Amino acid sequence: MVENILNSIGHFYPEISIVVTLCVVIIADLLLKRENHTISWIFLAGLTVTGLLVLQQTGLNTSIFHDMAAVDPFAVFFKVILIIASLFIVLFSINSRELDPYKSRLGEYYMLIAGMILGMFLMVGSTNLLLIYLAFEMTSICSYVLAGFTKRALKSAEGSIKYIMYGAVSSGIMLYGISLLIGITAATDIYGVNASLAAGIDQPMILYIAILMIIVGIGFKIAVVPFHFWAPDVYEGAPITITAFLAVASKIAAVALMIRLFKVSFMDTASVQIIGDWPIFEGLNWNMLLAFMAALAMIAGNLTALKQDNIKRMLAYSSIAHAGYILMGFVVLTDEGITAIMIYVFMYLFMNLGAFYVAMLFSNKLNTESIEKYKGLGFRAPMECIAMTVFLIALTGLPPTAGFIAKLYIFGAAISAGWIWLVLIAGITTVISLFYYIRVVKNMFFFKSDGISEPLVFDAGSKVILFMLLIPVLLFGIYFTPIIEFARYSLKMFGM
Amino acid sequence: MITYLFLFFALLALGTAILVVTNKSTVNSALALVFHMLSIAGLYLLLRAQFLAVVQVLVYAGAIVVLFLFVIMLLNLEKEENLFAEFSFKHAAAFFAGIAVLAQLLYALGSWTGVLPEFADQMIAIGTVEAIGDELFTTYLLPFEVTAILLTAAVVGALMIAQRKLKSRDQ
Repeated sequence: MVENILNSIGHFYPEISIVVTLCVVIIADLLLKRENHTISWIFLAGLTVTGLLVLQQTGLNTSIFHDMAAVDPFAVFFKVILIIASLFIVLFSINSRELDPYKSRLGEYYMLIAGMILGMFLMVGSTNLLLIYLAFEMTSICSYVLAGFTKRALKSAEGSIKYIMYGAVSSGIMLYGISLLIGITAATDIYGVNASLAAGIDQPMILYIAILMIIVGIGFKIAVVPFHFWAPDVYEGAPITITAFLAVASKIAAVALMIRLFKVSFMDTASVQIIGDWPIFEGLNWNMLLAFMAALAMIAGNLTALKQDNIKRMLAYSSIAHAGYILMGFVVLTDEGITAIMIYVFMYLFMNLGAFYVAMLFSNKLNTESIEKYKGLGFRAPMECIAMTVFLIALTGLPPTAGFIAKLYIFGAAISAGWIWLVLIAGITTVISLFYYIRVVKNMFFFKSDGISEPLVFDAGSKVILFMLLIPVLLFGIYFTPIIEFARYSLKMFGM
Repeated sequence: MITYLFLFFALLALGTAILVVTNKSTVNSALALVFHMLSIAGLYLLLRAQFLAVVQVLVYAGAIVVLFLFVIMLLNLEKEENLFAEFSFKHAAAFFAGIAVLAQLLYALGSWTGVLPEFADQMIAIGTVEAIGDELFTTYLLPFEVTAILLTAAVVGALMIAQRKLKSRDQ
């Protein structure tokens, strides 16, 4: 008993480090002067330490705290992605003008971000339904508050309230689903759930309802149709740093949670015939349901994005569409599909953060988020606009960017598993998405700016961050073997 | 003896529950709710679920109803409006939901045998404070600790949202 806990602590350093960072930030906020960004740098240091501790976990494949959570390559992969995203968000926050009036609250801001990171770390690792729910709720509660951080802006408050309402209802539904699942399987850890499903259960109907309810909760976090209605308003209202964090980190964590939960609980391990395929229990075709959700997300997300003028709103709908593409790799039920998802989220991290970052830079200088106001910017800030173009092309999925590789692997996995209709929808919607991404580029480069033509000057620091995002997007478009190796290696889940 | 205690608690629970609904003053309703919760706790004790009984008193009768009372007093609610002044879809839905619950209750009562069930030692052992504390600090240690951080984050978040004025340089 005690040995298990003591040994587990040794595999729990990243989470402990995040909690320590959280406490240090609160104390530092009380002690330090609030005029400068010292606290941001302290937080950044804490995150770097956490990142190094995560990297130390590579190669581990074990279960900790009495099967509460797993430390396996799968979890480590997603933790690496989450920590990269978090580091960028802190760098964004230092450069954001939007947060300046709230400088006195930066302590709370970083504390809540730390809470969110802890929640997401637990989401990607937890193997117990209790902990899954707690991690889920931890991420949600912190993000509700962060979405309303700039609370003097009406839109921010509005988005936050909508987020809380929607989130409370869907997490309630998910909790009910989890309680039903525990009730019929008499197990709280997902291995136990799998074992008792393999032994056969009396009431399959209740099981279907439970799975459906769990999908509602996770679908809300991933923001996939039809659980996406909160996303545009929240993304538009929240400060742009938080929008980027929600669109990247919290979505990716929920995807990882879903993969682990569904793969471990609902996979029929007894009847594996082809290595790499994972058969599901008879009569439990949850992947069909997810396929329809993915298709709807791609169609609805891309079509609605066409009409948006606010860049954050446009990127919100585009992120709904991307959730659809990501889910596509999941419904094929093969290891190839999961690898494709991992490659996709890795690329998506850089290109989406990049797009949000450039939008933030423009918003800092021009005080606008309207795409119409971007007219002529190509001549005033050429480098930023070229970077934005690259990010948007990557989001569309065109070569030679990382986005192309991401889409290629997802589409390939779906085709080789025989999901032709889904790939067709994905292909057509990708073409549609080109219109709204290119519209931004067109506004930047093909219009003369009316009257004002003095160039926008950005400081060296913000340019460095831009390059840190731009280089991976271009590099991984050409040289992507390490990422694929890393993803293939990280397929291993504990107990599978 | 146990039968008389059961009858006492059951009637108390029923009576106070009716009072909660029928009372005109909201404060009195909330107080009746306290007694209702306490009698339910008594019923739990009769079922040998000591931990549940303690939690029922601490959380429901203690924290939640007191919170209700605070809200009622702060909002200064005078008289409740007559619920049935106008008919709406909501009332119809509530009516049918009520019917459904009643049907469930009657169905459950159908299997009434007239004697309290026997308690296996195992069942009683699960419901003690020791057993739950033991599990909580060994098997479920991690969720327990995570809950602590979750509550901290929630408190900080609530303070941040509730604080009316922001102290900052440019104000």
